[in-house]
Amino acid sequence: MALLLNEEHAHETEDSDPKIVKFTVVKKREEDHARQVKSTSFEEAMLPHLDAAHNLARWLLRNEQDAQDMVQEAYLRAFKSFAGFHGGNGRAWLLTIVRNTSYTLLKKNRAVDFTTSFDEEIHLAGHESVSPATILEHSEDADLIKEAMDELPAEFREILALRHQEGLSYKEIAEIAQIPPGTVMSRLARARAKLKEYLAARIGREK
Amino acid sequence: MNCEEATKLMDGYLDGELDPITNQTIEQHLRECQKCDEAYKTHSALIRSIGNATPYYKAPSGLRERIQSSLRDEITERPTRNVVRDSQVLFRRGQPELRTILSGTPWNWLALAASIVLVAIIAVNLVPRLRRPGADQFLATQLIASHARSLMANHLTDVASSDQHTVKPWLDAKLDFAPPVVDLASEGFPLIGGRLDYLDNRPVAALVYERRKHFINLFIWPAASDAASASKTITRQGYQLLHWADSDFNYWAVSDVNLSDLQTFKQQFETRTPHH
Repeated sequence: MALLLNEEHAHETEDSDPKIVKFTVVKKREEDHARQVKSTSFEEAMLPHLDAAHNLARWLLRNEQDAQDMVQEAYLRAFKSFAGFHGGNGRAWLLTIVRNTSYTLLKKNRAVDFTTSFDEEIHLAGHESVSPATILEHSEDADLIKEAMDELPAEFREILALRHQEGLSYKEIAEIAQIPPGTVMSRLARARAKLKEYLAARIGREK
Repeated sequence: MNCEEATKLMDGYLDGELDPITNQTIEQHLRECQKCDEAYKTHSALIRSIGNATPYYKAPSGLRERIQSSLRDEITERPTRNVVRDSQVLFRRGQPELRTILSGTPWNWLALAASIVLVAIIAVNLVPRLRRPGADQFLATQLIASHARSLMANHLTDVASSDQHTVKPWLDAKLDFAPPVVDLASEGFPLIGGRLDYLDNRPVAALVYERRKHFINLFIWPAASDAASASKTITRQGYQLLHWADSDFNYWAVSDVNLSDLQTFKQQFETRTPHH
């Protein structure tokens, strides 16, 4: 069978040793083919999650250009370690890489804010005077929510995006954020409480 | 359950992540405690509303292309080191001795044996990685890759001719089987030419047809058994794949034309080939 392929290329090769060259041509073709198959299969499995990857990176980095670079970088990393992906939840697998890649940049830029780091007294002044009903009235204001959410620490932004936008289960979130499943609920509760406080503070300042 | 416990579990309850028994206990508490019930209602309304209003940043157009092109660069710039590459180096170095040892041995047979071993290595390496549910899916991936590459690499045909009497002898001479070749220009599928391809670990014939500026690759190779299998279709990545078989050959038509066009193509092809 492969013999025929050899003969096909025989007329093209008048180098020092046609046999070696023929052999190389056939091998080259098989290698290209193998890589192509790998690439096709990777794109098929991972490109459907592009929006999810971009959304997570955008929330973590809070900057469109960084998010795009990050997603591209994460896809390259994912491609290189695609052999380690054994089917199953492709979105969670990819988002773990996006998350880790993003945190590397956050740490490098010293912009890391895993815990609430800024002066809460200023930010949160007056939030207690705002009632839950008032917050609810403002809770459809996308700009307001975006601003409040961007003020949250990275781990809170991340968990809110994963839960509310991707609709992921606690189990999936635990996998992506690399925390014990039991921690997901309490972190989510803290993130929501904090977001409510920040919203209240913003609403209180605007009044 | 007391109020403190109920408050602690509220987010899990809201997210539907608690076990049924805990759910019941919380519901029981909410029925009994008005304060917690109100807190729950406000919290859930607010959280849902916030969730709905949070902006979702979809990937901008262009990012997909950027990623695909960076993947292509990755593939071409840094080819994976593997057994194949190393064995080539060994072959070159050891050439003179090998020559002596192997003089008189028909070299092509060695190349053939080496090819089979290498194809087996590649197949063994690839199959578990891809974890395709079935052989068809794996084949489909190969077919789409071949089709896409034939359009991409400016290598659509080895023999470009709309004359079936040119294409057929050319293919017959290159292959160990004689695939049926018909021009279907009068049916709206003009023959563009033929090409050798390599699929399913064997050389196959690829006939290229045109349909309103779109191309159809028809891959043909001998059927493994006499039984003609039922035709099947696979749709993936915007490509349509249509498979059928007769007593002699396997056929896989791959194209981006719509499925009904492809089915018409299949019918026309079948009526014009001598097997029917």
